[in-house]
Amino acid sequence: MSEHTLKFFGDELTQLKAEVTRMGGLVEAQVEDAVECVARRDVDLAQTIVGRDLKIDEMQREIERKAIRMIALRQPVAQDLRRTVAAMKMAWNLERTGDQAKSIAKRSLILATSEPLTPLTRAVERMGKLVASRLKESLDAYTIADLERGFAVWNADEEVDEHYDSLFRELLTYMMGDPRTISSCAHLLFIGKNLERIGDHATNIAEILQYEVTGEEIAGDRPRWSSHMAAESPADPTAGDDQ
Amino acid sequence: MPMRLPTLSDPAAGHRSSGAAWATAGAVSILAGLAVLGRLDMATACLAAAATTGLGVWAAWRTRTPAPSQTAGDDPSAAPAQGATQTAFEDALENLPDPLLIASAGEPDDLAGKRLVFANAAARALLRIPRDGALLLSAIRRPEVLEAVDEALFGGVSGTVSFETGGAQDRFWRIWTTPLSGRADSSLCLILMRDETDARRNERMRADFLANASHELRTPLASLTGFIETLRGHARDDEGARERFLGIMAVQADRMARLVDDLMSLSRIELNEHIPPDGRCDLSVTVTDVLDALGPIATTKQVRLRPDLPAPGKAEIVADRDQVIQVVQNLVDNALKYSPPGADLKVIVRSSLKKDAASASDLASPRLTSPDGGRQSLLSPDRTDGELYCMVRVVDQGPGMAKRHLLRLAERFYRVEGQKSGERSGTGLGLAIVKHIVNRHRGGLWVESAPGAGAQFTAYFPQAKPVPQAQPDLGRLEPDIVTKPS
Ligand SMILES: Nc1ncnc2c1ncn2[C@@H]1O[C@H](COP(=O)(O)OP(=O)(O)O)[C@@H](O)[C@H]1O
Ligand SMILES: [Mg+2]
Repeated sequence: MSEHTLKFFGDELTQLKAEVTRMGGLVEAQVEDAVECVARRDVDLAQTIVGRDLKIDEMQREIERKAIRMIALRQPVAQDLRRTVAAMKMAWNLERTGDQAKSIAKRSLILATSEPLTPLTRAVERMGKLVASRLKESLDAYTIADLERGFAVWNADEEVDEHYDSLFRELLTYMMGDPRTISSCAHLLFIGKNLERIGDHATNIAEILQYEVTGEEIAGDRPRWSSHMAAESPADPTAGDDQ
Repeated sequence: MPMRLPTLSDPAAGHRSSGAAWATAGAVSILAGLAVLGRLDMATACLAAAATTGLGVWAAWRTRTPAPSQTAGDDPSAAPAQGATQTAFEDALENLPDPLLIASAGEPDDLAGKRLVFANAAARALLRIPRDGALLLSAIRRPEVLEAVDEALFGGVSGTVSFETGGAQDRFWRIWTTPLSGRADSSLCLILMRDETDARRNERMRADFLANASHELRTPLASLTGFIETLRGHARDDEGARERFLGIMAVQADRMARLVDDLMSLSRIELNEHIPPDGRCDLSVTVTDVLDALGPIATTKQVRLRPDLPAPGKAEIVADRDQVIQVVQNLVDNALKYSPPGADLKVIVRSSLKKDAASASDLASPRLTSPDGGRQSLLSPDRTDGELYCMVRVVDQGPGMAKRHLLRLAERFYRVEGQKSGERSGTGLGLAIVKHIVNRHRGGLWVESAPGAGAQFTAYFPQAKPVPQAQPDLGRLEPDIVTKPS
């Protein structure tokens, strides 16, 4: 390949990565806003989120299209190839993250029609803030290709599970104490599950970064659900969720 | 101001004058915006005025010449003065307390072409980017802000955006974007960020508080209404049921009364929180009084009260005695509530402690060595130089709590879930009251606990300075009046 083509490919890659970053920003905002609309019972915001999801889907298709075109036309190798593939993987992951945020927004619309459960909402909010900050950290790491920061996100996976665990217990206590709250609590539990998924996507982003830079996977098992939780929590409530 | 502001008649700046005009307009609009919002104090406003007035020129100059050292070749005759001005502008911007960025762009669609030509120290620290050259997208991803920046860059329109960052620190930002017309082939945009977290947080707390308070009141009220209906209905002629229901109703009414009392004392304390107390009180004597009053409850609960106090007169604090009683009472009350029969409840008072000593832990205590245990400061005084403190410490042998709860204990209505305290008898306001009182006294509050290892709460108050001895002259002349006013 000539010097000129090489340079050109580099520019294209920078552009592609910038698009991924912009998409990341949008998804990040979706997640933050989704947490916000649960916390504040903000119906307008929830509707905005649902509307904006279309834009995310469109961005994902666009990035994918560009990446495939770059691979087909320029046949990049080694890190150039990995970067291009990583951009595509990022777009997939972000699109799914966006779906979870949309799902939270939809549930917040339902929650807004019943009595507020302030202490529980705060617990969800705390978990949401944590998850959002993990997403932000992982996107920051991806944007500047900082392996160390990516690894920090990957490694602190457990904290989200702990929050989910504690939220789960708190919800159970509430539901048992006052059966009228069961339906709202169930929605909050699903929201917790959505958030947990988003946390997983943040971890995935850290893994994509690792792949992009080194071509390797992060060694070792990811910290996962503690065994007692696996036994106690309900079957995955978001399975078959509208996506 | 010693800076030379470029004008149309200024030959040195002539070729950049349209930039200057634009910049001045931009600066004026920003300042007007800030002033209207009342966000800037005077000093910052002046600094910002100085900085933004020359901004366009400076930014244009910056994009034109990559390094300051090259200005000399640009326009030799004007170099020294111009250089000095630029350095001053740059310094001013650099030192603004709020994050400030200048973005430049070529084509609207060129995402990678939007770059930051300048980021001041606050912006660099916040966004973790270099001083210049960073991709706009690597600093800011928030879509609304990017849109506003685009509007400034390509539409020449100023705007403001607010948003909350999802970081662990959870900040609320307001952002101003203003076009700075630099050169024909590249547009510039000023991005000024301001942290408005505190205002937002207060607003949120207020709303939460109202929601919580009404929720707490509604529960006993609903139960009262329910029993009244039952008593009017099918239980009307059932003597046994009536007695039982009235008993429950009395308990609920009590609960409401306690809640209203607590709410009122909390609001009273808040009203006076910024007025330091001016009385004196003896911590040992106060603790003895509280323990005497709580003695009967302790006896019923078979809890042994174990005071460990210095002699009266040894632990005097600057305080509002009634409020100190409330502090001790709330802490001992909690400890009693969670103590099992046969347990010891220690109340310790110590005096003449430096702040470090008043907040020091015994590292070998099981509360700190158990896996889920720990300590947490709930309040710490601001200025402590040389100040001496007296502390009161309540140690129980109850169930304790895990470290993750400790930080939130002094939040209003926070209760540790899953505790058996004889169905939520408390209001959840006790420790909030304690914290506000201690804060008014410029003292500190901290807690240490572990599941199964009990809890230890420590509050400390500034110690009173020793009173100068009664004047001997006066004593000799009128001994009766001084010692025993009748
Ligand atoms: N000594 C203690 N041991 C165990 N838990 C405690 C103790 N003191 C306070 N707590 C926990 O802190 C919560 C808040 O206490 P407080 O503000 O006094 O409210 P209340 O006692 O009215 O519930 C309590 O509900 C309880 O869960
Ligand atoms: Mg209490």
